[in-house]
Amino acid sequence: MIIKLERVKVQSRKSEEAINITPNVDDIVGKSGVKNGLVNVMTCHTSAGLLVTEGIPCLEEDILTHFSRLFPEEEDYHHRRYLDFDGRMGFNADSHLKSILGGIQCMFPIENGKIVRGSRQTIYFMEYDGPLERVYLVQVLGE
Amino acid sequence: MIDFHTHPVLIREFAEKYPNYVRVAREVFNIGNNFQPLETFFLQMDVAGIEKVVLLPIACERARQDPVSNNEQVAELCGMSDRFIGFASVDPMAPNAPKELEFAITELGMKGLKLDAALQDFDLNHPAVFDLYEAASSLGIPVLIHTGMSWAQGTPLEQGQPLLLEQAIRKFSKLHFVLAHWGWPWVWDASALALKYPNVFLDTACLYYDGPIEFFQFVFSKQIPTTLIERSLRNQVVFGSNYPRVEIKNMVKALRSLGLTEGCLAKILSTNAERLLGIRQ
Repeated sequence: MIIKLERVKVQSRKSEEAINITPNVDDIVGKSGVKNGLVNVMTCHTSAGLLVTEGIPCLEEDILTHFSRLFPEEEDYHHRRYLDFDGRMGFNADSHLKSILGGIQCMFPIENGKIVRGSRQTIYFMEYDGPLERVYLVQVLGE
Repeated sequence: MIDFHTHPVLIREFAEKYPNYVRVAREVFNIGNNFQPLETFFLQMDVAGIEKVVLLPIACERARQDPVSNNEQVAELCGMSDRFIGFASVDPMAPNAPKELEFAITELGMKGLKLDAALQDFDLNHPAVFDLYEAASSLGIPVLIHTGMSWAQGTPLEQGQPLLLEQAIRKFSKLHFVLAHWGWPWVWDASALALKYPNVFLDTACLYYDGPIEFFQFVFSKQIPTTLIERSLRNQVVFGSNYPRVEIKNMVKALRSLGLTEGCLAKILSTNAERLLGIRQ
């Protein structure tokens, strides 16, 4: 049984952004030595996300636009106050809610050393509160 | 556009390079966010439409063991990018404070003086502080002083009262005083000082509850009228964000939400800061 965990840094460059990380995940799986098993990808953040959808720019835009329609920046959130444990103001409830809605992880099977996924399926790191340097985890398990 | 109020306290490269940098961020400045690469700082400026920022150190080593960034670190950052404008900070109680300031301005290239009476633990009307003002005046630089509430732990509110500065403001009428955080909650006191004394400026780096837009809408339209800024103080206000306690982009949005005229916004976001920094007459 092989279990490998990689921490990958990603620098978002905008306030909100869909970043295609599929090639990186493919690469990590390919180098892991696992022929048959599973790969799990997750973000380490609560104001960013990770989701799978068709990899085309119009959908990237639709996801961000409609998440913002559901959770507008200016709303009557309780999470708009000084956070003493952070020493700063918290007012990014919309980012947290988008992260919950879109999810923070995905899992794919591995067969013959490659990820098995639909031809349209693309893995996105979703930035909802950037620009920031972020981290996502890729764990490969199998034989 | 210039952000007149940022603190370089969460820069990853410095956290890795300077041993006490992390402790100071967590225990003195009291901020818990992740350290970020310098690149993030520039990207935060970019998304906010900000071209340059003023970096503020705080020489609080006598009161808090270590400074919150020192002049050399700020100079190092300024050497990396012309988007950074460095201010110096010195302890007014140090016997050689005026000389230290002169060195920081003439040798390190700093453009102003930053003081925080509460965090640095000094009396704003102590004669030694006036000696430092004298030096700043001779050097022709502005002084940015913390006023109002501070989130740093162990700092008394009373040392942030803007009116404590009146004596100095009157005595050094050629010296430009920038009252940080608009003196919140004493926004009327700070505003009155700016109304009465043309050498007083106010920065907008105030956010103490709610979100930036909500806070600005209340403070700058209900606590004091927006017309006070538009009509009377338009030449004495500079934009400040207090990054990284607040993202710069959110404070720019909040300022723009007030409905100020484009002419007034241009002064607050650019021209007034340029005048203070000697970039523009």
